[in-house]
Amino acid sequence: MFWFGQQVRGGTFYQMGERIMKKLLAATSAIAVLSVSTVWAQGQLSLDGKTIGVAVVGTQHFWDREAFNGATSRVEELGGTVVAVDGGRDNQVHADNHDVLMNRGVDAVISILGDGAVEPKFEALQAAGIPVFSVDHPSPHVVNNTTSDNYYMGTTIGRYMADAMGGAGKVAVFNAFENSLRICGIRTGLWKYVLQDYPEIEIIQPELAEEFANAPEDARRQTLDLLSQYPEGEIDAIHVGCWDQPAIGVVQALEESGRTDVLVTALDGGPDTLEIMAEEGSPFVANVAQQPRLIGQTAAENVARYFAGDTLLPQTYVEVVPINGPEEAKAAYKELGYGEIN
Amino acid sequence: MQASARNQKHRLATIVGLLPLIIFLALLLYVGLNAPNFMTIVNLKLVLAQSLTVVLSVIGLSAVVMAGGDDVVSGGIDMSIPATAVLCAGIVAVMTGAGQPAILAALAALVAAMLVGVVNAVLVTRLRMAPLLATLAMFVAVVGITNVITERKRLNLNVESIAALRGDIAFGIPLGILIVAILSLLAWFFLHRSKWGLNLQAAGGSRDAAEISGIRVDRLVAQSYLVAAFMGFVTGFFTLARANGYSPGAQDNLLLEMVLATFLGAAFSPRRIVTVWGAILGAVLVAAISIGLKTIGVNVFWTDLIKGALIVIVVALSAISQWAQ
Repeated sequence: MFWFGQQVRGGTFYQMGERIMKKLLAATSAIAVLSVSTVWAQGQLSLDGKTIGVAVVGTQHFWDREAFNGATSRVEELGGTVVAVDGGRDNQVHADNHDVLMNRGVDAVISILGDGAVEPKFEALQAAGIPVFSVDHPSPHVVNNTTSDNYYMGTTIGRYMADAMGGAGKVAVFNAFENSLRICGIRTGLWKYVLQDYPEIEIIQPELAEEFANAPEDARRQTLDLLSQYPEGEIDAIHVGCWDQPAIGVVQALEESGRTDVLVTALDGGPDTLEIMAEEGSPFVANVAQQPRLIGQTAAENVARYFAGDTLLPQTYVEVVPINGPEEAKAAYKELGYGEIN
Repeated sequence: MQASARNQKHRLATIVGLLPLIIFLALLLYVGLNAPNFMTIVNLKLVLAQSLTVVLSVIGLSAVVMAGGDDVVSGGIDMSIPATAVLCAGIVAVMTGAGQPAILAALAALVAAMLVGVVNAVLVTRLRMAPLLATLAMFVAVVGITNVITERKRLNLNVESIAALRGDIAFGIPLGILIVAILSLLAWFFLHRSKWGLNLQAAGGSRDAAEISGIRVDRLVAQSYLVAAFMGFVTGFFTLARANGYSPGAQDNLLLEMVLATFLGAAFSPRRIVTVWGAILGAVLVAAISIGLKTIGVNVFWTDLIKGALIVIVVALSAISQWAQ
């Protein structure tokens, strides 16, 4: 139970809310611009008569689903017709779905996530004169990629984690995608870059690789194995390098084995992980929240801008919200529109 | 009286045996009428290109089913082919990524694949394990080994000769489609026209009769698992080409489609038995249905549900048809 004026770590709850508000104000400056552009869009931007293919790698996870819903709803608001294909969290199926969209004869494709398997598909679409707008997948074959500020995400989570560890200790990292997904390369690469300034923090080798399709349960099993290898006092933190779904399983394993002294950090800040962070005594201490729905909407608006003859930059960055500790998790949960955590 | 009852039963068996095909063709007709650009040459190319890995897998599975009989539980079945394919893809991706020549990586993958085949053969013919359980266990184990080798990470392809299977054109036909067509013809010849193939079918048709006539059934069954493993090896290269590298998890979808296509293919045969052509046509049909459903906007989970339901229908109708006969 919190009331305004109550003392909490880092100031009063009121101040906390104010700080989050400031962060969100910064974060939503992009929204403000986009809202203006949306107002402008009602008059100027249009996808009337256009059929837009939206390929998403999966819709099981909050982030993917929100980005997908943001893109499809905005295409429809702008008067376009959506042809949606879902890869069911299978990168190969997701890649093949682009062929289906090309054959269907769409005017443009919004492609959400995916690994290197989509590159030849992007190339084929480009060769066929169908512009591709990616989400979280920079590629030389796309007109524009809409993504979060991954650079800020990586450095911020590095700083927050190092602070939480007191600048020393051993950290294990789930890092399956650093070399295969550019966004993960940026996030994990910059997390490691920050840790160069903390010589007493050691990254446990070998790094762990999480499963793509069944991340929470897989991470739970791997964490239990890890904890049996590293008894109490031998491991201080577990970081998930690129997203937050595995962190759900990591926290479960820590709670099962009574090892909640081990800190957890991750990225994405979906409502499910913010709820875990908000629990009293949660080992999950830091996160950086993205705005996936806004990212999807922005990608759809970029398609409309392209057809309106605008020149787009190769990347559109959408702001993120850093979250340090349970109170900021609660405040961000509310401000991001996920509801209220008491 | 008895003869007419037998005839009626036979007619019923024929109708039941054809039902899976009728259901599929009805589905195909439905998507054909509803999906834009479905009945085009470009789409046919797309269907063929997306069915290549399944076609290669079903050739291997057909050989095993022919040798062991087409009872799904007690007959011949090899569930480990998709796992062998991703194992080979993983080995090639790791080795070429580390700068080893592609030929050396291919040899290592071949050795690994044949090892899987040998283990399957031993489990089934020496230890007398049920093929379904033995090869399912191998599927799990081989995927585990692949995860160790690849660290379960996505690995990009940097070998142009393998990528050529995806994009190159030969004689006006995509190279991948051409190669798989040639392999399909070879498979048809060896499995349906050679003495070895005929012995294989005799072994699967009636083990006792085959043994009485001097056919060494166990040896043939063992060889069929080696053929399946070899097809898994070939499938691995097409998996790599299609995904432009190694993506963890590709085996699951392949397993589902391989089983569905092979047993659906039996409906194409006059005697309702598994044949290479039937299985290949089944694979193409499954790809066409998948693409069609996506094109008309059916949710991916519904697509999986439809595929799963079709497997149940195909296998159930096959059992009813055998019982009716």
